[in-house]
Order: sequence, then C-alpha cells, then structure tokens
Amino acid sequence: MVRAILEVTDLNKHFGGIHVTQNVNFRMVEGEQSAIIGPNGAGKSTFFNLLTGYHKPDSGRVVFDGRDITGQAPHVIARRGISRAFQVSNIFPRLSVLENVRSAVHANLGVTMNMFSRADKIGTAETQEFLSLCGLNGKETEIAGQLSQGDKKKLELAIALAGKPKLLFLDEPTAGMSLDETEETMNLVDRLNRDLSLTVLFTEHDMSVVFNHANRVVVLNRGEIIIEGTPEQVRDDETVQKIYLGEHQI
Amino acid sequence: MLLDPGILFATLLGGLSRAMILFLLASGLSLTFGVMNILNFAHATLWLLGGYITYSIFSFIADGMGLGESALVLVMAIILGTAVMTVVGFLIERFLIRRMYDRELPEQLLLTFALILIIGDLIKLIWGVEDRSIFLPSEPLEVLGTFVNPYYFIIIATGCAVAAGLWWFLQKTRYGRIVRAAVYSREMVSALGIRIPVIYSCVFALGVAIAGFSAGVFLPLMPMALGVDIDLIVQCFAVVVIGGFGSLLGTFVASVLVGIIYALSILVWPDGALAVIFLIVVAVLIWRPWGLFGTELRF
Amino acid sequence: MTSGGQNSHRGSQWVRLLFGQGDISGPVILALGIGALFVPLLPGDFWTEVSIEILILGLFAMSFNLIYGYMGQISFGHAAFFGLGAYGTAIMFREFTGGTAEITTTQFFLALLAGPPVAAVGALAVGYFCVRLTGIYFAILTLAFGELLFYLVFSWYGFTGGDDGIQRLLPPPVFRDPTVYYFFTLAIVTAAGYAMWRITRSPFGYVLRAMRENQLRTKFLGIDVRRYMLVNFTIAGGFAGVAGALWGPFTRSVGPLLLGWQESGIAIFMTLIGGAGYFAGPAIGSIVYTFLQAYVTGFTVYWPLTIGTIILLIVLFAPGGLLGTIDNKLIARLRTRSPDSSTAGREES
Repeated sequence: MVRAILEVTDLNKHFGGIHVTQNVNFRMVEGEQSAIIGPNGAGKSTFFNLLTGYHKPDSGRVVFDGRDITGQAPHVIARRGISRAFQVSNIFPRLSVLENVRSAVHANLGVTMNMFSRADKIGTAETQEFLSLCGLNGKETEIAGQLSQGDKKKLELAIALAGKPKLLFLDEPTAGMSLDETEETMNLVDRLNRDLSLTVLFTEHDMSVVFNHANRVVVLNRGEIIIEGTPEQVRDDETVQKIYLGEHQI
Repeated sequence: MLLDPGILFATLLGGLSRAMILFLLASGLSLTFGVMNILNFAHATLWLLGGYITYSIFSFIADGMGLGESALVLVMAIILGTAVMTVVGFLIERFLIRRMYDRELPEQLLLTFALILIIGDLIKLIWGVEDRSIFLPSEPLEVLGTFVNPYYFIIIATGCAVAAGLWWFLQKTRYGRIVRAAVYSREMVSALGIRIPVIYSCVFALGVAIAGFSAGVFLPLMPMALGVDIDLIVQCFAVVVIGGFGSLLGTFVASVLVGIIYALSILVWPDGALAVIFLIVVAVLIWRPWGLFGTELRF
Repeated sequence: MTSGGQNSHRGSQWVRLLFGQGDISGPVILALGIGALFVPLLPGDFWTEVSIEILILGLFAMSFNLIYGYMGQISFGHAAFFGLGAYGTAIMFREFTGGTAEITTTQFFLALLAGPPVAAVGALAVGYFCVRLTGIYFAILTLAFGELLFYLVFSWYGFTGGDDGIQRLLPPPVFRDPTVYYFFTLAIVTAAGYAMWRITRSPFGYVLRAMRENQLRTKFLGIDVRRYMLVNFTIAGGFAGVAGALWGPFTRSVGPLLLGWQESGIAIFMTLIGGAGYFAGPAIGSIVYTFLQAYVTGFTVYWPLTIGTIILLIVLFAPGGLLGTIDNKLIARLRTRSPDSSTAGREES
C-alpha cells in the first residue's frame, strides 16, 4: 500500500533578500529512496533544514505521516520519526563512539529523564547493533572527534539510525569516502530501505551513487525544483545539463 | 521635584555624560567582540587603569615639572596616558588574549575575569585605596535656574566627536572596512590576504586606547576609585546587549538610553538604579537577544 | 570541555581492579572520605571548622559544575542560589526564635529544610529565562539575574535585613560543638554528593554531556534542550541551596554578599583549580582554595591578585585543573609502559 509519507506544499523561505526556497512542491511515498541533486547553492541543505525544523518556512506546508509539522521545533520533528545525517559530521566530539550512539538510543527509548539508573547499563545491546550495522565494530571506545573522516560519517549515520526513523535525510552521505566505503555505506542504505521500509532522501554530488541508489531524482536549482523523474530521465534532460555546465541562466 | 526643569536638565546632562563613558567603553567592547569573538570582562578595569595612569602623568607634569594644573596639562596627560594604554592593550593581546582564540568560550570569559582581579589589585598595590581626581577650576554655567559644570558639555562633545571619528573610520577608510568585514567573516578577510592577527591586535589595542582616553577625559568629573570598574563593566554589558554586539549605532543609542535611564532612576529610586538597568538587560535578552541593532550573528 | 580531562581505559586498569570504575574521581573521593573521618582528631577546633567550610563550599562548587563541567555553560550568578538557600534558612530561624529565643532541634531541622526549596524555586524562575540562550548570552544573563537578586536582598530591609543581613543564627546547643556540626555537615554533603554522582551517571547526565558537546545535534535526537537545561539548572540551584542552608548556622549570620558575583567566583575558582572535567574536581578545588586563601590572607591583603594570577595560569597552561594534570601524567606514564595501547582517551565525566 503506497501512501505519501511526506507532502511538501508551496514551501518558501527568504534569507534577507534572497529567496532560497521557491514554491517547492514535493512528495515522497513510504519506502521510497530518492535523491536531490543540484549545483552548489541550489538550496539542498536549506530544504533539509526546513523539513527538519532547523529553519521555519515563510509559507507553505509540510505534512509528515499525516501530521502537519510545518515550522515545528527540531526536537519535536525528530520525535515524529524524521532523522537526519549531516553533511559535516555533527557528532559529540569528546564522547566515545559508544556514548555517541548510546545518547541517540536513550533518546529514542525515552529514558532521558531518568536520573538514577546507570546510563551505561541501558541500551547497550541496541547501541552495539547500530555500531555493527554501520561498520564501527571494535571502535566503541574511540573518541569520536579523533576518528577518520570516513568513520565519522559512519558514526553520523549510526546516530541518525539510532533514532529508528521512518524518514531519513542524508546530506551528502558519501562525501570524503573511498570507493569501498561509499559502496559499503550505500549498500547499507539500500538494505535498510528494503528491509525496514525506511524512506530515504539523500543529496549527492556523486552521480554514480545517484544512479545506482535512487528510485527518483529531484533537481533543485536556485531554490526551485526544476525537474524530477527517474535518474535516466533527469540525466537526459537538456535543462539539467545546462545547469550543471553553467550556461543556463534562470 | 522631578518636574523642576533645572534639576531635570542637570540630571539629563549627567545622564548624557554618563552615556558618553558608556559609549566609549562599550564601543571598544563591542568592536572586540564583533571582530574577535572575545568578551573582555576586564575592559572597564583597563579603563580604570588608564584613569589612574593619566592622573599620575598629570600630577607629574603639573607638580613634578612645575607647570601647574591647567587644561593644557590635562590634554598632555590624556595624550600620554592614551599612548601608554595603547601599548598596554597591545601587550595584553599579544601575550594573553592571543592564546585564547581557539579556546572555548567559558575559558575566554574566565581569563578576562581573572584579569579584573589582577589589574584591580595591581591598581590598589600601586596607588593605594584613595580616590584620585583632578579639580579643574571653571565657572559654573547657569542654565534653567540651576548651575552646571561646563565640563559636562566638553565631555558630551568629546564623546560625540569620538563616535563620529569611529564611524568615519569604520565606514570611510580602508582599514575600517576591513574591520567591518572581519565582523562578518574572518575567513573571507583572511582569504583576501590580510593578516588576521594584525587586525586583532589593532582592534583590541584600539578598544583599550579609547578606554584609556575616555578615563583621562573624565578625570575632572569623576574620581577614579576602586570598584568603579565593576559598576561600569556591568552597565557596559547592558549597553552592548541592548544595542547589539558589533553595531556602532546600536552602542551609541543604547548608551544614551542607559545613561539617561540610570540618571533618572537615581532621582527616583537611588538604590535600585542598577536594578532597573538589569531589568532592561533581562528583557532585551529574552525578547531580542541580538540587541536593537545587532544582526542574528553567531551566538 | 577541559582539554586536559582525558583518561584511558588501559591507564585506569589498576583503578578498575579496585573500584570497578574507569576514572580517577572514585579513588579520590574515597581517599577524601576516609581522610574526612579523621579530621576532628586533629588538635583544636581550627581544622574542624576549616573542614566544615571546605565541605559546604565544595558542595556549592560541585553544584556549579553540574552546569559548567557537565552541561558546558558558565553561570556567573550561581551564588544567588547559594544565598537564597542561606536566607531561606535564616529567615525561618528568625521566625522561630524571634531573634532572642533559642531554637529547638526540630525547628533547626525545619529551618534547614526550608533553604533548598527556596533556592530551587529561584533557580527555576531564573533558569526559565536563562535557558532560552546559550554561550555568552547565558553567561551575561546569569550574571545580571544574580546581581538583580543581590540587589533585591540588599534593598529589602524589612524582610531580609538589607545590608545588615540576619544575625544570631545560633544552632541548638548540641550543634554548636564544631565536631558535631562537622559530622552533621559531612553526612549531608556526602548524601547530596552521592545524589549528584548518581545523576551524572544516569541517562539524564548523558544528555547533559551531549548538550555540552553538540547542542544542535542533541535537539535533532528529539531532546527538548531547553527543558533539560532548565531541569539541570534547577537541580544545581537546589544543591547550592543545600550548601547555603548549612552555611548560615555555621557562620552564625547571613549577608547579601552571599548572593553576589564574588561568591559565584568562588565556585568557579574551586572548580577550575580542581578540574571541571572530573566529578571530584570541585571537591579538590575546595580544599586547595580554602587553604590557599587562609594561608595567603594571613600575610597579604592582595588575595584577588593572587587568585587572579593562579586562575590565569590555570586557564592558560593547565585548563584541566589539578585532576586533569594528574590524569594526563598517569596516561603518559602508562602509555610509555605499553607502547601498543591505543591512544584512545576518554573524558571521565
């Protein structure tokens, strides 16, 4: 049964004089795995920011899982089941890898107001699971801030997944990764999408990743959706080619 | 009593001149924070140090060199005092502040907090506990049925002159534009090839120099005494918060506001004047934390 | 938070053998605890009374560290809650005794119980506004509120005694003996300290650390950061109130300066000296600070210069405080012994 898990209607946002998001209409069905692409400055991160509560839209509506989440605070939206992995690793630098993910697990379990039990005894199994899933076995006690870039990205993903989201936003998930790591990560995402019906929306600059891992591609330019379709449709579209080659002025 | 025009005028005058100190101090604070993201708790203590130093220079020239106490001697003392404080500013930035740029905020605050204690006690060590002030003879002016010290007008004029000078510097000169750009983006300025450490040193020293200058200017009006720095720094914070960090206009407007409100509060509720200022700070921080004229910049 | 506060699992293996924990606060507290039991054996009342002061101010500093070391925010107005606790108890004292009569033991306990809630309510009210901001604005706002409360107490002569404060806070005869008051204080401080310890080890404590490390990300985990900051702020204020409540009967009087920024500074200095990254940091800091102050003020009046310089040096060269520095030396020594160990350091708190 396909239903729309995310419906974005006429979304608009200005920063100062700049119209960074223009009348965006966007829809995702449950279990979809799609990509947003566009040149730098197109507004991809802003789009994520608007959907996850980091910014309040100036106008428009965002409906997730049947509920209106427009303009709500990040923590409220996160609790509704939207998780996000950031482009620049947004981890807890001085905590260990284990504690990083455990924090997310605790939040998801709803035990965070507990002031008496031993935190390191709660959610250990789950935390380990997420760590294994993301390939961080053996690195539990390492300090997050001292990890390699690739590992930081993995941790970033683990933290996002630990929230057991229904909808996952990945902001350039394979940036800075080697070919092997890229494959590993995206295969994982595919698995999660398939096995858990996790709806995934990711941004990418690496076109091969987009082609191999996205059902649908949306092209953003200067805050507007220019075109959407299958990867092939988008690739063959003239307008898109011009945007990327820099010739098209809108 | 409140409505007596003479008293009101005198109060306003006092308030405006107080506003000038606050502006001169707060502009340095605001600039330093805007450019370097360092909040110098010890700024008013440096002001106080400048006042004591200027006083000593004045005494030396007047008595030690036998030139007598006059406005000219005061001007000389102020110039020399400002020069000394500029050097002090450079030294402090070079040896202390510079180490704190890549540190976290609480540690930066604590360093300058410690400076308050150190410099404050050093002042006590060198000059003792007595107040220091200068008496410049002058004819009181009669305005609206009350007598006022004409020096107030000089203070206000000086404050406005410095404000105008700063504005001109920031808006019209190349260096000023660099400084303003640095408030918005350190990275860009650095990418343009301009050496950030030099900018930082100069901005910090400038702030301290202005502070030293204003202390000297205020000597005939206001005795330099231990503990004055604490009162002032708190009001300075109030000004910068209300006006907005990094905004010269905001600092000026907020200084006038705070100065006048403080002066009026003294008339009505002497003990609570500072409390009134605090209430305003609290209100501003709650409803518009970046101040009246600030931009929603980095927190 | 403190760059010096690191610890390695391997480095603390010997500790773990003894105590089952991986950090040095454990043995430190244990040592202090054992030592504390023997203090009254020292000749005269001097050491006992100094130790009472160390205990009370140590609790005050530890409550501050809940906000600073664990949550990552600096509060310059924490003494306001210490003072509110002191005044809460003092005013009850005054009500019970009418200024002249003696206080009974029951009334004494009731008066003590009055302090912390007053402080907690104050912290709740102040915190409600302060937690809407972070970083420098939080710091300035706490300073402003602290001074506001100071002025309130200072000016309200009718209720708080204004500048004069409240005098003649004599505990019941039994508690006037320093040794008795000492053990009484030790018991309460230990209980309060234990409660704080549990809190820091709990999921709530982990949230505090997460907020310290990355407040934004914590929000994205689904945590209402404002609410958690407020809860922590209130709890910290409450514990400061416990310390304050004990202070009045100890010094036999309370004054408005207990709420001022200088008093807030004491908590900050103690925490910094001992090491903010460790649970036991403020406790150690309290010992060092109190003795240092007593010693230095014995031969010079320039105490602010002294402590200011010390703090300056600590911030510049040893930001991890005493425990941080010791811990680093431990890691260094143990690392040279086992060269294959991973350099993974883990902050204790």
